[in-house]
Amino acid sequence: MTTIVRSPRLRGRALATTSYAQDMGLLNTPAKRRSTLVMVVLGFLVPFLLTDDLLQIATLGMISAVGAIGLNLVTGYAGQVSLGHAFFIGVGAYTGAVLGGSETSLVVGYDLPMWIWLPGAGIVAALAGLLVGPLAVRLRGLYLAIVTLGLVFLGDHVFREARSLTGGPGVGRRGPDLNVFGIDLRESGSVLGLELAREQRQFLFALLFLIVFAVLARNIARSGVGRAFSAVRDRDVAAAIIGVDLTKYKVMAFAMSSFFAGVTGALYYAVLGVFDPSAFGLLMSIQYLAMILIGGVATISGSIMGAMFIAFLGRLSGEIAHVVPGITTGSGGGGVLTVFQLEAILYGLLIIVFLIFEPRGLFGIWLRIRNYWKGWPFSY
Amino acid sequence: MTKKRNLLRVGACAMTAALVLTACRGGDSGSSEAGGGITDEPCPDAVNPDNGCIYLGAISDLTKGPFAPLAVPITDAQEAFWAQVNEDGGVGGYDINLTDHIADSEYNPELHNRKYQEMRDDVAALAQTLGSSQTLAILEDMKADDVIGVPASWNSAWEFEDQILESGASYCFEAMNGVDWAVAERGVANKVVAVGYAGDYGGDAAAGVEVAAEANGLEYVALETPAGQENQTGAISQILGEQPDLVYISTGPAEMATIVGGLAQNGFTGTVVGSSPTWNPALLQSAAAPALEALYFQAGPWGPFGTDTPGHQKMRDALGDVTPNDGYTAGWAWSYALLATLEAAADLDGGITRENLVKAAGELESVDYEGMLPEDAGATDGDPNETAFRQSVISRVDPSAPTGVTIEQDFTAGPTVSDFDFTEPCFSLQ
Repeated sequence: MTTIVRSPRLRGRALATTSYAQDMGLLNTPAKRRSTLVMVVLGFLVPFLLTDDLLQIATLGMISAVGAIGLNLVTGYAGQVSLGHAFFIGVGAYTGAVLGGSETSLVVGYDLPMWIWLPGAGIVAALAGLLVGPLAVRLRGLYLAIVTLGLVFLGDHVFREARSLTGGPGVGRRGPDLNVFGIDLRESGSVLGLELAREQRQFLFALLFLIVFAVLARNIARSGVGRAFSAVRDRDVAAAIIGVDLTKYKVMAFAMSSFFAGVTGALYYAVLGVFDPSAFGLLMSIQYLAMILIGGVATISGSIMGAMFIAFLGRLSGEIAHVVPGITTGSGGGGVLTVFQLEAILYGLLIIVFLIFEPRGLFGIWLRIRNYWKGWPFSY
Repeated sequence: MTKKRNLLRVGACAMTAALVLTACRGGDSGSSEAGGGITDEPCPDAVNPDNGCIYLGAISDLTKGPFAPLAVPITDAQEAFWAQVNEDGGVGGYDINLTDHIADSEYNPELHNRKYQEMRDDVAALAQTLGSSQTLAILEDMKADDVIGVPASWNSAWEFEDQILESGASYCFEAMNGVDWAVAERGVANKVVAVGYAGDYGGDAAAGVEVAAEANGLEYVALETPAGQENQTGAISQILGEQPDLVYISTGPAEMATIVGGLAQNGFTGTVVGSSPTWNPALLQSAAAPALEALYFQAGPWGPFGTDTPGHQKMRDALGDVTPNDGYTAGWAWSYALLATLEAAADLDGGITRENLVKAAGELESVDYEGMLPEDAGATDGDPNETAFRQSVISRVDPSAPTGVTIEQDFTAGPTVSDFDFTEPCFSLQ
């Protein structure tokens, strides 16, 4: 009879591990456990503190965080640079809208419930990822980036022309309905005795969605699959020699990443309402790359921070632009710059400044804060 | 550990409950609460300090989007319009402020929605919401908030939306009138080709051309063409292959000029009629200018910038020294409907509130456009088949006019549009 022997933790020595399992644990130190609990509790308090417009930005930010995590799996963990993320998000968005949306005179829709359209969007996107995966086996680095870039153009054309699915450019279509267990997230009203506005409902749902997928991704990253990804990223020849099946893991990385992208696309546009095919261009792929670069490559929490940063960046640059003196607030004419032009410039400027001063991303800032307190009071 | 965690949880729940009860987050407004863009405080830099203030919003395409060259003058004209209203004493005891809530959505439905969320508690109505799918992206929220809006597009679908205050004939009716005019005045008898962008604008116009072609016994062919001057060769050769005597174009100005120039080069001698957004005075400086002068006519919802009406005159005076552009004309003319609604709401019980604005917007019997449009053009009191305005203006190219076009045929509803049974939008958006 065998029993699993749990190696005891050393009391008072939180960072000392006595087994590999402990080292790889999801929340392997008490500090992590506590801070995660606090973060989650704070997360659930946020909808009762912020105004509706900020809540909506945060909701969309959390949903795109899942997409960013997906991109981080393939680009950050497995090292396969992908510019095609927008394509997979588009595939998911349209799968979700077709399965969960309503039929109109222009577009098809099957009005299926969320438990079908949300996973469905992920699965169809993952299948698209499976098709692209084998390309990654033959190409590397910039070449792979260019091939995945081709996907974006391909998708852009298909989305524009497949009018019965997408509504076509300039018209667009509605996203799927947002019903969770009979609760309509598009309406305000009381849920379990709590009066919740539409934005609060959506925020709470997006938070749950993010937690589920973040934990899932973290588990992928710390399991054998994740280690195989890192091995492929660091040197694929070496990985192959130690027995990592390159084809399998590269295809897997693309499929998993696309699944994350698919569910993100479906949910994002369910919250947003109407969308048209021009959304899924190169700009979107770049934005997701910016999220993981700003957040931190090959980190889950970094992906989340990066996505939130990009989500709030538009608002932030708007607020800054409005307090800069000497800028006309009207629609144009007269001054050198209008507030809107400044807004657009600031958006780019903030990204540049950020990467110059903090190349490790938001995760780098977090690491420094963490290390300061780890060593406290002897930190210098 | 467990104990501690429970304590935390209880604490969090208590805090949550407390926050909910005190409703500490701001901006959680239902539309019916005080405020909602209508205050008794005077506007910032008020012209009439004794008046209250009504805040209007505008979500436009001001920098990077495809319609920025038109949208900036539209927005400028609207600012000038409401400034003029304030100079004249305001509306129902209020001054109007548009300047504080102008947003740039880059012609992107997602951004459009976001910009609306930012201003939804702070504006009483939208003085401008540019684009069709853009407006659709916020329409549900506008209905939930009791916010009415002036669209910056002439889509026939707006006639069926109570909270959208459109002015002038739709692209669809404009196209019917354009075809009827060409049949009557230019001897078109055989074939018409409708060429335009895919989507709401081109689609709405093409639907109108099709109806008019059928009514006039013309053969009808529809072509779609993408944006971009370099992408028009396909459309040109297809049109030439069809050998029509009328081409109806609904694209942007540059694309229209490329098509007309290409047709003329290949010996086309028929007639070209374009939807109102196909014209831009700058085209007179392009190589296509002689072709345009010979072949092109513009169907429009009202007279161009230089037209002699009190409304046009007032607009030119208010704008002062600007480069003439029919974006100004559109922005100014659209605003009259909202002004009439504000005035009508002021006379209702309770004065100007969001609810009364919605009510008034559906009950307008006429709008004083100061001659820019006939008064009954603004009627909304009844079913779209009765109230939809059916008259358009046909203009020809005239290099001496301020915006390069002058009226060829004043407000007329052709036979096709007069008989048209308008029970659903020409082109369904959703």
